[in-house]
Amino acid sequence: MKRGLFVIVVLFLLLAGCAAKDEQTSGAMEEMTESHGHGDVKITKHFDESLTMLTDKNLFSLEMVIPAKQLSMGVNTVEIIVHHASGGDVPQAELTVTPWMPSMGHGVMQKPVVTERGGGLYSVDNVVLSMTGHWQLQVKVAKDDKEDTAVFNFPEVKAMGHEHAMMHAPPPKDLDYATMKMTANNAYNVMYKSIGGQIRINRIHSWELTINDAAGQPVNDAMVTVVGDMPEHGHGLPTQPEITKVGAGGLYRVDGMKFTMPGWWVVTVSIMVDGVHDSVSFNLNIL
Amino acid sequence: MLNFLMRASGAAAATVLLFILFSIVWPGPALSMDQHTWSEQEKAVLRSLSIEALGSLPVDPSNRYSDNPQAAAFGKKLFFEDHFSGNMKVSCATCHRVDYSFTDNLPLSHGMDTTPRRSMPLIGVAYNSWFFWDGRSDSLWSQALGPIENKLEHGISRTMSAYIISKYYRKDYEELFGPLPDFMEENFPQNARPALDDPDALKAWVLMTPEQREVVNRIYVNMGKSIAAFVRTILPQPSAFDRYVEQIHAGETIPSRMVLTNEEVAGLRLFIGKAKCTNCHNGPLFTNSDFHNIGLPQKENVAPDKGRAAAITQVLSNEFNCLGQYSDAHPNDCPELRFIDTSNKKYAGAFKTPTLRNVAERPPYMHAGQFATLREVLEFYRSQAQNPELSHGNLTDKELDQLEAFLHALSSPIASFQAEVQ
Repeated sequence: MKRGLFVIVVLFLLLAGCAAKDEQTSGAMEEMTESHGHGDVKITKHFDESLTMLTDKNLFSLEMVIPAKQLSMGVNTVEIIVHHASGGDVPQAELTVTPWMPSMGHGVMQKPVVTERGGGLYSVDNVVLSMTGHWQLQVKVAKDDKEDTAVFNFPEVKAMGHEHAMMHAPPPKDLDYATMKMTANNAYNVMYKSIGGQIRINRIHSWELTINDAAGQPVNDAMVTVVGDMPEHGHGLPTQPEITKVGAGGLYRVDGMKFTMPGWWVVTVSIMVDGVHDSVSFNLNIL
Repeated sequence: MLNFLMRASGAAAATVLLFILFSIVWPGPALSMDQHTWSEQEKAVLRSLSIEALGSLPVDPSNRYSDNPQAAAFGKKLFFEDHFSGNMKVSCATCHRVDYSFTDNLPLSHGMDTTPRRSMPLIGVAYNSWFFWDGRSDSLWSQALGPIENKLEHGISRTMSAYIISKYYRKDYEELFGPLPDFMEENFPQNARPALDDPDALKAWVLMTPEQREVVNRIYVNMGKSIAAFVRTILPQPSAFDRYVEQIHAGETIPSRMVLTNEEVAGLRLFIGKAKCTNCHNGPLFTNSDFHNIGLPQKENVAPDKGRAAAITQVLSNEFNCLGQYSDAHPNDCPELRFIDTSNKKYAGAFKTPTLRNVAERPPYMHAGQFATLREVLEFYRSQAQNPELSHGNLTDKELDQLEAFLHALSSPIASFQAEVQ
């Protein structure tokens, strides 16, 4: 719920910025005309930093905005504005978004959640990218009897790092600082513990993760990644932690954790077992 | 879509209006609060910044002589020795002046010639994980060896260093490290080093036998480890700020007894609050030891300094790093090197957060002396309000005065090995 609220606030800010710009430049909405054999089609663009794409059969034009600037490994949100190729917004369309990794020939278990925001705008949450590399977002638009698809390419999806997550979000008031949580899609239960007691700023230290599946059985052979991020500042850990499988009890050791700023940190643990990917984010307040 | 835009901006405007109304009605806690009253969380932050939180000197596992007083005494002599230079006039103390908080007063330091960066403060340096502005060394002893062979700094070689030690410090050295060979031109070239900027010295180094190189390296390393044993002892003493934190924790509240002025306390409140200085200047040395590109003005007609980005491969390939054969550490004792963040994109133009202890005593500021006064530094940070990493709030002129006053309260005398430093 909180997350949804936050997305809406970000969206408002983005849109307010767009509206303000309209007033200044009267006509920030660019309309590019392209010739595609069947006649002229228009791509309408509301935002400077957005991706635009015509659907395969030239029925729709899509504009994609990524609030976090770029997609990264983990859970992402994108906004898509759907226009008719001839111009005009497309409300009440049925939108399906599928993440796909062309080189590996696989997608992900998690289904993105599409919510219509009105005015041809759709927000797409829970876009899970389970690893780094080349990803595609396949978008299918169905409106009345018309259906068409487009593929957005993201050749270099990286782990959340310095160049990612420039969201500069202030911490929500009632942050959950639990050290044991279920992953986003309830596939795993994850607990973290700092080895050596309380986490101290500017000290390299180690964590111990305990991962169980939903039935409470230890998960001993997962591919685990740990990424630290400071949402208020848009940067990550000053180190590259290493994860070692203990091989029993669902235990994993994370070496090389280090926090160099006080305040709100988010540590995301991504887990992949037999193609099932899920992740969980822990909030920390470093003093 | 347009409809939606208008609705959205209307909602945003209403939110802003509500916020403004709320701000007018609610005076905020700061105004009604006594100058010396701090919340429990603020007190915890004050304690974390206090010299009390510094703890004992961290062990340097890569230098088994680091806490050896005899090595420190030897290192102190080397620190002030002018012979270790191409013109017999440059010592470590040339750019790390005892009378200037162990740094110098130049924008760009000058040894044999002018260097591209400012001299770093040495106060409390042993608590660092990385050394030099870009962290291209991972120990104090390997740091100490860098300038000796730098043409712009001491401008000599490791073989010449071994010559000087065998000639002037044979007894000191042998008592600590065992017998020294005789250094004569027949058996050791005078100017040999594995240098990429001096073909003659490199050729001389390559023509030496592996055994000869090992002998010279060992002496050179012991020299660095001795200098480090001395430099480790250069430590801050309690400042007015530290005494103030003691007062606060002792429950003292009578304004006339407080060691900080009202202006300094106001500056402290900004430092840990609105101005968010503790984002990077945290802990008892007021530094997170990390590297940041803060968008300093670039010098004209000079190639941009890549900072940390260029140093990552340097420290990883340095023969004198924590994992190298001259380190006394077990590989498990080198976590900083092992978990080093190798993203040179992230660290382009990034430099180390310096300590703020004694900062008022050592202008000019920044890695290349870009600013002559603390005021200029504060003005610069204020000008960076749009940079999310550096958003220090909209500071007024008066608030800059207060921050500046507080920074002066971080000065203290410097303790070092044997109080009479020289």
